[in-house]
Amino acid sequence: MALLTAGKAAGTGPSAAEEEAGKRRGRIGYLLILPGFIFLLLFFAMPVLSLLATSLYIKPEGADVGQFVPALEFGNYVVVLQNYWPAVLRSFGFALIATVAALVIGYPMAYLVAVRLRDRKLLKGILLVLIIAPFFTSFILRTQAWKQILADEGPVVSVLRAVSLLPEDGRLTATAFAVICGLTYNFLPFMTLPIYANLERLDTRLIEAGGDLYANGITTFRKITFPLSLPGVMAGTLLTFIPATGDYVNAALLGNNQNTTMIGQVIDSRFFRVVDYPGASALSFLLMLAILFLVILYVRRFGTKELM
Amino acid sequence: MSTTELSRESGAAAQGSGADLVLSGVTKRFTEFTAVDNLDLVIPSGSFFALLGPSGCGKTTTLRMIAGLEQPTAGSISIGGKDITGTSPYQRPVNTVFQNYALFPHMSVLDNVAFGLKRRKIRDAEAQAKEALELVELAHLAARRPAQLSGGQQQRVALARAVVNRPAVLLLDEPLGALDMKLRRQMQVELKKIQTEVGLTFVHVTHDQEEAMTMADTVAVMNHGQVEQMGPPQELYELPRTAFVANFLGKSNLMQATVTGDAGEYLQIDVAGNSLTLLKERATDHTGKILVGIRPEKLRMEADTAAAAPGSIRGVVLDASFTGASTEYLVDAEGIGTVGVFAQNHGGALFNDGDRVRLAWDPEHAFGLSGSEDREAGAGEDGL
Repeated sequence: MALLTAGKAAGTGPSAAEEEAGKRRGRIGYLLILPGFIFLLLFFAMPVLSLLATSLYIKPEGADVGQFVPALEFGNYVVVLQNYWPAVLRSFGFALIATVAALVIGYPMAYLVAVRLRDRKLLKGILLVLIIAPFFTSFILRTQAWKQILADEGPVVSVLRAVSLLPEDGRLTATAFAVICGLTYNFLPFMTLPIYANLERLDTRLIEAGGDLYANGITTFRKITFPLSLPGVMAGTLLTFIPATGDYVNAALLGNNQNTTMIGQVIDSRFFRVVDYPGASALSFLLMLAILFLVILYVRRFGTKELM
Repeated sequence: MSTTELSRESGAAAQGSGADLVLSGVTKRFTEFTAVDNLDLVIPSGSFFALLGPSGCGKTTTLRMIAGLEQPTAGSISIGGKDITGTSPYQRPVNTVFQNYALFPHMSVLDNVAFGLKRRKIRDAEAQAKEALELVELAHLAARRPAQLSGGQQQRVALARAVVNRPAVLLLDEPLGALDMKLRRQMQVELKKIQTEVGLTFVHVTHDQEEAMTMADTVAVMNHGQVEQMGPPQELYELPRTAFVANFLGKSNLMQATVTGDAGEYLQIDVAGNSLTLLKERATDHTGKILVGIRPEKLRMEADTAAAAPGSIRGVVLDASFTGASTEYLVDAEGIGTVGVFAQNHGGALFNDGDRVRLAWDPEHAFGLSGSEDREAGAGEDGL
């Protein structure tokens, strides 16, 4: 059976006219990305370079607060790392836990709406709005509300105390638990929506085919549904992990001053309160490099080129 | 090639050859309508069985109930005497070749084919998968992704993925629907060849009567959730028992007639004032008003001259379309209406529009149906 094996007869190469048209299309392409390029150059590349430069400034002897002179003081990095490495590690730890928690909560929600309720248009629409609804009110206010919910006299704490899941003097506010809850909650839509967008395109006939080929529900999910949704999971985890690492609102509102300090808070206080511009810049730059490094590792390990 | 090996093993798998697929009283009701209505069907082990019918006739729902993708509202399904009603798809010794193949896009062709074997923890899954790919002559593409294959190749991967499990029943859901005509003809021959080689029971759902007749040993014609008639393709074609089957499977001329007498083996009938005979065994009803059917190619047509045979029906040629090997005529038959005639090109004179002709046929070619049948049933549906 030699069908479909014969390839197209090799034609001659592209003609000069075709080549010319190709070049023109190429030029139009460059023109179209020009506005974005200029925007990013002005508002991303320049600030990053300025950040890098500031991170190497030094404070001359006897200078006023906030007075620095350009230098190449790489020692700044050593100093901030020595002083703040616990906050850096804690930020990555909190962000990781919050990302995993958001995945565990967000994936089933996305699956329910995108796959199970695929034919129930109205219900699906309502649930989608509910997923996005938190964005309609301010981030700060919603986090403040969590403070009320988890307060010592609040309903959650009294119930947990009543069933002895919390000791009589146990509390939830101003704990790492509260900070992670806040991070999970605030970034949940960023996890759910990309996964939803991916699962919505899932061909449910593939799930049927899995069942037909002796895979039970769990195996079908593990071998078919989940691998096919990896691009959505990748996008969701990155959109959650990256901003959660640098977040300072949740730690500030729901944490305490000793063991929940995240790197965002440190940068905030170094910059605005202590007015240590080089230190804040060095920390920001370190954070950026660390996130970049982790993301590259992650994408290389789990990224599926064909599906991205 | 190890196809002989594959067929031998499957012979062993299907041992106790009583692995017949039996549907008894199967009904499937959806909120608005009944898709399958009290269906009884016995599909013998090792046969190539076709469920043929127009879209919406319930054939796909029947297939999905056998696969376990739908549960019947009532009735039971068993394979080899074992009741499988209510079990999940993954628990059934049944595999499906899906209409759009449903190949897993994130897996190689080989992993697709080995998927079912691995789920059942079969040790040499990869080796068997390779063997199945050889059967469909795609072993050289084992490492490719499905998206890198042509439609025909994907179709064959889907077939290999199902066949490799040597199921008691292999279901094919319009498997050739997405292929172009030429490729479809080729795949029909190949499917039939593979079925003979591996000796599995194939249940093939299609709306294409030619496809069903080419491949299947037994065809069940479905309409409105019920089997209208079941039998070998030739029998269905030569002796349809309902107007739907007569019209859906090929073309038929159905004419109103009245039984006027009984002459032993024959019935005397009156068709628009012409006295004709009909074989009793080829008629479902033996009294009163009936329908008489005759296939267009079984009609003889001659010029209306004084020498014309008695007992033939007069008519006028309305339209003649010459197609080379044959000519298709539309004839306005006196008192009957428009009749189709299909004449092989034997080199004789052709008739032209307006020619006066006489039509006749051998009684052993005609068939009689109940007079209450709708003459138009199944005509012009997507079976042609």
